[in-house]
Amino acid sequence: MAVITFGPPAHDLPNRAQINRVGLWLFFFSEAILFGLLLSARFFLEGIHRAQVNQFLGLIITIILLLSSVSAFTAETAIEHDRRRLASAMLLVTIFLGMVFAVGVGFEWATAEFHRKEAFGTVFFTMTGIHATHVVTGVLMLSLAWAQLRRGKYSSKSHWPISGTVMYWHFVDVVWVFYYPALYLVS
Amino acid sequence: MKVFEQGWRVAALLAVVTIVEYIFALNVGNDQVRFIGLGVAAVAKAGMIGAYFMHFMRMFEHAEAH
Repeated sequence: MAVITFGPPAHDLPNRAQINRVGLWLFFFSEAILFGLLLSARFFLEGIHRAQVNQFLGLIITIILLLSSVSAFTAETAIEHDRRRLASAMLLVTIFLGMVFAVGVGFEWATAEFHRKEAFGTVFFTMTGIHATHVVTGVLMLSLAWAQLRRGKYSSKSHWPISGTVMYWHFVDVVWVFYYPALYLVS
Repeated sequence: MKVFEQGWRVAALLAVVTIVEYIFALNVGNDQVRFIGLGVAAVAKAGMIGAYFMHFMRMFEHAEAH
C-alpha cells in the first residue's frame, strides 16, 4: 500500500539540536530587549554623565568574565571531543571565575560613592544587579551541568545541556561587553 | 588541537580590544568620538563572541544531533 506523506522531505527537517539552538537564540533576543531597555534608560536619564566608579575593579572583573568565556568554550569543545576530564575541569574554572565576578560586583556595590536614589545610582545598581543575577543563575546552571557530567551523562554525541548552558554564559558575557563601557568608560 | 587554539586566539583578540578600549576611553577628550569608539568596540567584541563562542551560524547548519 502506498503511503502519502505531506510536508518537506525528511532530510530538510531540522534535527532536535537545531530546534534547541533556535529556541535558545529566541530566548536571547527576548533577553536582549530587557538589557537593551536598561541600557537606553541609562543614557536617557544621565546622558553620558557618570559618577565616580572604581575603574581598576571594572577592568579586572571584565577580564575575569572574558576569561570565563574562554574556559566555557574550552569545556564545550572538550565534551564535543569526548574529553570529559578537561570539560569537567574547565566547567569548574568557569564556575569559579563567575563567582569571582559576582563577588567583584558585590564589592563595587559595597564601596560605591553614589546612592541608589541618584539617577546614576539607580541605573548602575539596576543594570549591574540584573546582570549579576544572570551571572549567579549561570553559575547554578553550570554547577548542575558539571554534576551531571561527573555522573557520566554526557558524551560527544549527547551534550546539549552543556552547550546550552555555555551559550547562556556567553550571552551574559555579551551583555557585559555593552554594560562595561556604558557604566565605566563613557564620560 | 586546532579548535582549542581558535578559542585562545579569539580570547587574546578580545583582551586586546578590551585594553585598547580602556586606554582609548581614558585618553580621548571628545565625548562624541569616545562614545562612537566605545560603541564600535562593543559591537565588534559582541560579534566575535557570537560568531566564535556562541556558534551563531550553527543555527543554519544541518548538524548531527547533540
